[in-house]
Amino acid sequence: MTDQLRSYLPIIIPLAVIEVGLMIAALIHIFTHKNYRFGNRWVWVVISVLFNIIGPILYFAVGRGENQDDEQ
Amino acid sequence: MRAFSSFLGKEFQESLRTYRLLIMVAAFVALGVLSPLLAKMVPDLLNGTDMGGGAILRVPPATALDSWGQFFKNISQLGVLILVIVDCGIMGTELAKGTLTNFLAKGLPRSTVIWAKFVSATVMWTLCYGLALLVTWGYTLYFWGNGPLSHAFLAFTCLWVFGVLLIALLILGGIIQSNIYGALLAAAAVIIVLNLVNIAPQAAKYNPISLAGGTVNLLSGHNTLGDYLPALWICLAAIVVIMAASLAVFDRKQL
Amino acid sequence: MTDVLQVEHLSKSFGKTTVITDISLSVPAGSVFGFIGENGAGKTTTMKMILGLLKPDSGSVHVCGEKVRFGMTKSNRYVGYLPDVPQFYSYFRPQEYLRLCGQIAGMSTSQIARRSTELLEMVGLAKVTKRIGSFSRGMRQRLGVAQALIHSPRLLICDEPTSALDPVGRKEVLDLLHQISADTTVLFSTHVLSDVERICDRAAVLHHGTIVLDGNLADLKARHGSTGLQIEFSHPDDLARFRSLVPARLLADQTDTEVTVRTTDPKADMAILHLLAEHDILPVRFEALAPSVENLFLEAVA
Repeated sequence: MTDQLRSYLPIIIPLAVIEVGLMIAALIHIFTHKNYRFGNRWVWVVISVLFNIIGPILYFAVGRGENQDDEQ
Repeated sequence: MRAFSSFLGKEFQESLRTYRLLIMVAAFVALGVLSPLLAKMVPDLLNGTDMGGGAILRVPPATALDSWGQFFKNISQLGVLILVIVDCGIMGTELAKGTLTNFLAKGLPRSTVIWAKFVSATVMWTLCYGLALLVTWGYTLYFWGNGPLSHAFLAFTCLWVFGVLLIALLILGGIIQSNIYGALLAAAAVIIVLNLVNIAPQAAKYNPISLAGGTVNLLSGHNTLGDYLPALWICLAAIVVIMAASLAVFDRKQL
Repeated sequence: MTDVLQVEHLSKSFGKTTVITDISLSVPAGSVFGFIGENGAGKTTTMKMILGLLKPDSGSVHVCGEKVRFGMTKSNRYVGYLPDVPQFYSYFRPQEYLRLCGQIAGMSTSQIARRSTELLEMVGLAKVTKRIGSFSRGMRQRLGVAQALIHSPRLLICDEPTSALDPVGRKEVLDLLHQISADTTVLFSTHVLSDVERICDRAAVLHHGTIVLDGNLADLKARHGSTGLQIEFSHPDDLARFRSLVPARLLADQTDTEVTVRTTDPKADMAILHLLAEHDILPVRFEALAPSVENLFLEAVA
């Protein structure tokens, strides 16, 4: 079993790097911006952390605020 | 020419700063990694499953072709979906917001806008598709060695051309409706219609949708070149027609 | 003086609604031209036809002697355009945005650098390095002025440049336009009459898609505006005596000690002055009312 697991390592590790990298990128963006197209900060934090790859992609594609308008 | 290169530069900047490039690259590299992983996992997971009555499921170990099968399936479904989501606003957002007005009022030709958008989206799609291909190819080589693949170049080109067709459709839809929904509608409608047409088996040979999913059969040698060439030509012709229509419609559009 | 902009017999309708009916106007070089009209009068439609963004049903537009063709934007190299709500790419910084504008307008890199520094200084955005996405409305409007002027156009067209702004922002933009008018002809639309009064020397009034008034502001005032006198007395008794001397139909708007007298020419004003002197009435204030753009406008659309 461990042999089998080891054979997966070369593929699991890069995948994990992408996952964690995207998650960190999304979290940095979430915490440095105040406005989101919809949802609020904590919804996006949860989505980005919970759903690997898809979560951060969803955030950047639809959740990210267009700009940080200082109008209301 | 200067206006074109400036506006093309703006398109790339936009992809970078609105995270569209990041999304595409990350997603396609992930798909590239996922394809061999899934191919390898399926037999490992299924093997030894008790089918009941003492029968034990025996699945043959995966091969390079299984890995490529996963690649075509993932890219033609999830990959194409991501392409559509990332590029759906390419024309519509600008027209809906009116961000082009400042530039058109300075003498930027309308056709330049369309070509810059088409080229930038196609370059981005080529880059991401190429990355996914490279990653899957690397893992497939590592796990299963370099098996013989027939018509590899054409097999991979087919799916790429289908992606370009979708980009052209997103541009035309965005221009007609002046919003992202027009683009989404155009892409979705064409995919649905092509899938419906595909119900008739005689049509498959000419249907661009068979470029999207079926080309693994070309790699394995199940199908021959002749089974895909008509669809490929029709798809290329469709891209030309759609781009011509985009240029014509945009030139007549009142802004 | 040559005309920078010439509009001849322009008409436009959207479906069944007619927006512009046979309008003609010309804007001489060096003028600040106020294009007055209520919301929905057709100001934006006219401007977009001048820019070739909309196709006129009939009529022609010439900019600097060159005919404007719909969709072909060659004549636009003479024109700078500031839309009513200018839209920018929110991910650009002002310098980056102006660089793109300059490149599109076909300027050289050194020209762009010099001109954008100059313009950002002028509109007060020289030290701003944040992205346009976080700009306030006033800042966007000022950046809009800068992008419209990047290629040193001969004619600047502004669509309601002040309507979305607070009083401070409005004053800033009007001062800017006034400053620009030294070397650029300015055409701007507005429904705020005090803006016109402040900076324009020519004006046209657009009402229900036709031009009802057009010309030099001073001439217009001399010709049209109803003039009058405002007289203030120290005591109500003086006012009562004055009232008994002039026909009631000439009097309007009175309070205890103040009255407005409708007069039509300076002679009548003199007559009133003589009348006061003859009867030993000393007013505390005797003022000839200047015709306002508001009066002109109300008279024109009545």
